[in-house]
Amino acid sequence: MIGVIAKHESTSLLRLPITWMIAAVLACAFAFLFLQQLEVYLTRQAELALLDHPPGLTAWLTTRFIAPASIVTLILGPLFAMRSFSDEFRLETLALWQSSPVSTTALVIGKFLGVTLVLCAALSVTLLMFAGVAWVGKLDWWQVASAMLGLYLLAAACAATGLFFSSLTRHAMVAVLASLATLALVWLIGTASFNAIPIPGLQATSLANHIGGFHQGYLATNDVLYFVLYIALFLVLTIVRLDALRHVNR
Amino acid sequence: MVNDRPILLRATSLSRLISPTARVADISVTLREGDVLGLLGLNGAGKSTTLKMLAGLLVPDGGDVEIDGHSLMEHPLAARAQLGYLPDTPPLYPDMRVAAYLKLAAQLRRVPRKLVKPAVDYALEVCDLTAVAKHRIAALSKGFRQRVGLAQAIIHRPKVILLDEPSSGLDPHQMQSMRTLIKTLGQDAAVIFSTHLLPEAVAVCNHIAVMHNGRIVASELPSDTPVTAETEISEHITQPLLRDDLDTLFTNLVQFGTPKAPVRTLTSKIEQPTPADNINP
Repeated sequence: MIGVIAKHESTSLLRLPITWMIAAVLACAFAFLFLQQLEVYLTRQAELALLDHPPGLTAWLTTRFIAPASIVTLILGPLFAMRSFSDEFRLETLALWQSSPVSTTALVIGKFLGVTLVLCAALSVTLLMFAGVAWVGKLDWWQVASAMLGLYLLAAACAATGLFFSSLTRHAMVAVLASLATLALVWLIGTASFNAIPIPGLQATSLANHIGGFHQGYLATNDVLYFVLYIALFLVLTIVRLDALRHVNR
Repeated sequence: MVNDRPILLRATSLSRLISPTARVADISVTLREGDVLGLLGLNGAGKSTTLKMLAGLLVPDGGDVEIDGHSLMEHPLAARAQLGYLPDTPPLYPDMRVAAYLKLAAQLRRVPRKLVKPAVDYALEVCDLTAVAKHRIAALSKGFRQRVGLAQAIIHRPKVILLDEPSSGLDPHQMQSMRTLIKTLGQDAAVIFSTHLLPEAVAVCNHIAVMHNGRIVASELPSDTPVTAETEISEHITQPLLRDDLDTLFTNLVQFGTPKAPVRTLTSKIEQPTPADNINP
């Protein structure tokens, strides 16, 4: 059943012109960032060679390209999830799901997988860029895989956040703005300006603090666990919200 | 021999607060295979809320619903597998094609993979949608959309079918088709459909219940209740009503009749208004 829901969600997304527009913007932004960092690396090769431990091409690209690409994903990711439940409210189609033998958990997980699949497919254009470089040079594919895993997990976190906020309102734009605000906050609490806040463990809740390891090819269990818990939290909140709707007069 | 037919729907004392001044209260319905119940009532009588509770979209404050022996509260998935529901606004995706939408509906209703295509063909044929199977739902007229909504509700051949004003917005020809279809569906299932027109209920149903202010005020009407049968209905009023309520009820329910005269004969069932009665229960 989850597969049926995921397929419906992803095909619904792919039928929307805005999905293709956002994917195009994503691809253009990634291409610009990638070529920019490639050019910087090539022009500074002589300078880098003087360092004790000069970064290789893979390390340069995964840290200098994937990091800003993560920010772009953070901004554009919620746009993929903004309609998931908002449209169900607007079109009054939630009755189809609620009167079917489908559990709320299956519905939420199915929709999450559908959105994440489309978002990750859009992000996979990055792999083509790396493949282009690998054609003329040599890349450490394990480090690329690690960086891409981080990007995919971030995309899944964006999808989960967007899904939750879309379950709160029938207005897709409100869902996007609320998602962006939440993601920005969770990202920024890891930055230096939040160091002064004396809350124990605050830094550990930041997305930014858990994505860096992936870019450097350093896969830490706690980073993976952080993303899994983050995604699970928003999915559970979505399930609770949808179940609560059965208690609300509409 | 009526009692030999299996009970498919049993609702016991359903109640739910709709707003601080309105509630649906004490709704009890038992339907067997072959029963078609018309739920009559004015706008705001509580028909849609009742159907939503029966369909599992709203959790009642009290009472229980059993569908084919499965409690909707304790075993919701098993109960909903035997349920088909058409809300007042059909749950349609405008950008989908009719056949694709019905395929999705069949999959959601757990129709086995091999039987999905036959189920879609069945729904298309029964609802006379074969000619528009490849059309986008957005391009269909209101009548066709209503039929697509009905098709999704019956695609898995449920034992209980709930239809919320299925003929609203249809032209007379489409309305006639819808009535014939509901009658046909009612042969193998238990059907409840809501309407605010007595003639429609009489034309289709073998049971009629009248709702007013969130309560069933008349039930178990004879199946041969004539179209202008205010008196027939009046004799089955089980709940005390205010004179104005009763008057309004019949004036609106019976389109082609003379509602005033029979109401005057119901003095024994009309309460005198009290200050508390000015607020809906």
